[in-house]
Amino acid sequence: MSACRENELDALLAGELSDEDAARVRAHAEGCAACRHALTWLRMERGWMAQRARRTPSRPALDFAALEARLAATAEPSVVPHRAPHESPWRGWRTMLMGAMATMACFGLGLVRSGPTTNAEEPWGAEVLVAASGEACEDAAAALEARVGACLIATPGLALRN
Amino acid sequence: MKMVLAGAPPSDTDGERALLRRARAGDPAAFRRLFERHAPGVWRFLRDLLRDEEAADEATQETFVRAHGRLQALRDEERLGAWLLGIARLVYLESRRSRGVQVDVEAEEHAREVEAVLPTPSPEDLLLDRELEGLLTQALGTLREERRAALLLRIDHGLPYEEIASVMGWSLQKVKNEIHRARLSLREQLSAHMGGSRP
Ligand SMILES: [Zn+2]
Repeated sequence: MSACRENELDALLAGELSDEDAARVRAHAEGCAACRHALTWLRMERGWMAQRARRTPSRPALDFAALEARLAATAEPSVVPHRAPHESPWRGWRTMLMGAMATMACFGLGLVRSGPTTNAEEPWGAEVLVAASGEACEDAAAALEARVGACLIATPGLALRN
Repeated sequence: MKMVLAGAPPSDTDGERALLRRARAGDPAAFRRLFERHAPGVWRFLRDLLRDEEAADEATQETFVRAHGRLQALRDEERLGAWLLGIARLVYLESRRSRGVQVDVEAEEHAREVEAVLPTPSPEDLLLDRELEGLLTQALGTLREERRAALLLRIDHGLPYEEIASVMGWSLQKVKNEIHRARLSLREQLSAHMGGSRP
């Protein structure tokens, strides 16, 4: 299974493919044990992550009042954060905006991006060949798979449950 | 075959665009609605990166303070969810640096082609019980930080691959490869727990 092939299956489940592409990928998967196997894992992963997301605990940081207080404090850092009850907490919008922009600007300068993490020793196998052809890898993978008449990963004897 | 994902991030509907316009015009109620929609996902992303709930609280607030100040900079074609997660990632990187945490101290996962020997999960594996959830969190924790971030942006936050490339500053191909490898690593680590059939 190439990264690109799995990406297509994943996009299929996410409803991101055009009708035409979805039909093509689905038709392929029906006759391909490796793709069906990958689809089972992908579906399960989606189910797990959805269950996990639903269990997001309620945290103090998710209370908007806490954010309001912080925005007020950010807006007027040197002022005692008292305000009349009728006063909008958004009074300091402009000050805060400038402060935040300055922060972002400084931060942007300090941002370091790490370089590529490709490790030649990793057994990347056929995928690296496909990946090397660049962004059009779906086509390359599909062509290669068509030539060998199977998905890039062969799973003979794979017991599949439906 | 379209699968509706419960617990997925809110999609950028017309409603969200309208809220965004109002928030940009200075309507606090609109900003509040956007916060309430997106804060849980942002918190979860930060919790998964920082692996510390209290640190995630702090970083979530910081993310929204910055977002609030930068709302005008959000381009029309950008999706709010992806934009917020991008800010969250920057806040995370900054917080990690300030805490002096070393990059990638965790054991690098074995990036092996393991698919061929993985069992096919059975229907009962779909239930994420507490034990499995713990294992899943543990398995996520073994991934290199960047790989983990990319994977979560996809499988938890539902970002398209192109948006992940933009958030991570990677090529589309690298995004695909990293996510694929992250998935294989998770599957390998979790397969021992699965009751499914083995080849
Ligand atoms: Zn296939």
